[in-house]
Amino acid sequence: MPPAPEPEPPLVALRDVVRAYSRGASRVVALAGVSLEIRSGEKLAIMGPSGSGKTTLLSILGCLDRATAGEHEFEGRSVATLDDDELSRLRNRSIGFVFQAFHLIPQLTVAENVETPLLYEGASLPEWRPRALRALERVGLAHRAEHRPSELSGGEAQRAAIARALVTTPQLLLADEPTGNLDTATGEEIASLLDELHARGATVVLVTHNERLGRRAERVVRLRDGRVESEERR
Amino acid sequence: MSPALVVLLRLGARSLRLHKLRSSLSILGVVFGVAAVVAMSSVGEGARRETLAQIAALGIDTVTVKPPPPQSGEPTVSLPLGTADSLRRIVPGVRAVAPLRVADLTADAGGRTTAVIALGTTPAYADAARLEIAAGRFLADLDVTDRKRVAVLGASVVRALYPLESPLGESVRLAGDWYRVIGVLQERASPRARGTAIRARDLNRAVIVPLPALDRGASRQADGVDEIVFRLAAPEAVVSAAVVAQALVRRTTGAAPEVVVPREILRQRERTQRVFNVVTGAVAAISLLVGGIGIMNIMLASVAERTREVGVRRALGARRRDVAAQFLVESSLLTVTGGLLGSALGLVGAILIQAFAGWPTAVHPLMLVVALVVALGIGIGFGFYPAWHAAGLDPVEALRRE
Repeated sequence: MPPAPEPEPPLVALRDVVRAYSRGASRVVALAGVSLEIRSGEKLAIMGPSGSGKTTLLSILGCLDRATAGEHEFEGRSVATLDDDELSRLRNRSIGFVFQAFHLIPQLTVAENVETPLLYEGASLPEWRPRALRALERVGLAHRAEHRPSELSGGEAQRAAIARALVTTPQLLLADEPTGNLDTATGEEIASLLDELHARGATVVLVTHNERLGRRAERVVRLRDGRVESEERR
Repeated sequence: MSPALVVLLRLGARSLRLHKLRSSLSILGVVFGVAAVVAMSSVGEGARRETLAQIAALGIDTVTVKPPPPQSGEPTVSLPLGTADSLRRIVPGVRAVAPLRVADLTADAGGRTTAVIALGTTPAYADAARLEIAAGRFLADLDVTDRKRVAVLGASVVRALYPLESPLGESVRLAGDWYRVIGVLQERASPRARGTAIRARDLNRAVIVPLPALDRGASRQADGVDEIVFRLAAPEAVVSAAVVAQALVRRTTGAAPEVVVPREILRQRERTQRVFNVVTGAVAAISLLVGGIGIMNIMLASVAERTREVGVRRALGARRRDVAAQFLVESSLLTVTGGLLGSALGLVGAILIQAFAGWPTAVHPLMLVVALVVALGIGIGFGFYPAWHAAGLDPVEALRRE
């Protein structure tokens, strides 16, 4: 796929983003000036050793966390100007999260887990179940809709989590070590599923230190000590 | 109800069921608090209703004058009959005055016998004591002036002596004399005997005869009466009427009579009731405070346990207020359940108190509504801090929590 021409604005733009924490008297700098653009329909892998700032970067991309300094734009809007409610709305409508440990809510069935974002979207009750089932069909898990997360295998749990991330049809899918808790074969399945979603137009950003998984992305950004060390495009 | 609330209620119920024992234990404080309030208020309400019934039987517009209590060793005194006439003339706004002679006697008719309260009085007693005639007629002036041997029977007396036939025209024997039955009183709600200052006479057990017909015997003042009941045109006049009556009797007999003013007793009862209410309220407030602290404790534990769930929900788009609402719904669900169980337990308690202590109890329906509203208030009030704490969690930190 040829790179998109310049005029179209990026989905996400980071410019000199710094994220620093105060830990008592000391100051920990997790991100020390990261600039990055993510275009619609891209598949990007963020790689790097632990402590390089991968997860912090993902939190900022997911609007769970705010930059201490620098600019962060989502669809051309500056994220810094949004209040907490607006950020929640942005996460709900525009961003889907996939976590390493799936983070399904144990007391809810698979379908109810997938429906959770719809509660916060304010969707009317009758559309919940059909939308949840559509999302589950996309990940091939519709037959497990009424099961509890504890009854699922790891691969199925991650599929359910992906369905939950997709149910509000977000512009950006963020995956944090999506295969980290899975065996190789199952990890491969999930990786293929993400490829397939990307092939159908989804923008996928994944954080991993799994080289095999990272190489499946069309663009790999490597972080070290809170800075972009290298960026390769294939 | 909004879909969000329905979902939150379902979700809350499921989270609470997940920890059945913990949830049940945590609401015990609220259950017992509400039960105590309902049971205690039922005692107060029962006493209040009983007072009201007694006052209604006596009439809030009546005053009863009784002779001064006898000094030790002296014979019982009675009021001179003329006092009734004097009262009628002197007390302003009098509607009816009735002198009464009272005796506990045995009545018999057709081989049946029953204990009765014999009342010798005048026709004015019907008005003064609000009597209603079920059949026949009440005493007439001629019955009194002619010393006729006629009687009006209370409803229980009729049941005891004439279970099958109509007593009208029949004869009943009272202290050796035969009386012809001319009337029957309407059944009245009988006052329950309790140690109160206003024990109303059970008129269902009365046999009412003309005043002169009831023989006083030789040992007592021949023209004396045991009581004078008068009814005023306006209830507000009872206090001044009581003062006048007391002064009059003291001047004629030389001793202060006992004057019973039901309206004043009602007032006094209301004051006592207020004290009781304050004490009950304080006990209730303390027990509910303890219950509320239990709820707060369990909700804080629940928030701590589900920190990661809070992080996940925030990532999925929950606003702070959505997270707070979820925990508030949960704590309210706990306390309202506690309120319902407590109300039920309180009702059982009220029934047991009535059965074993013999106190009349009554539960005002509004009390149950209040109990549930208070329970909901506790859920929101004591659930507020844990919910606020959950809402304020940093999503990134919360997601990292094990």
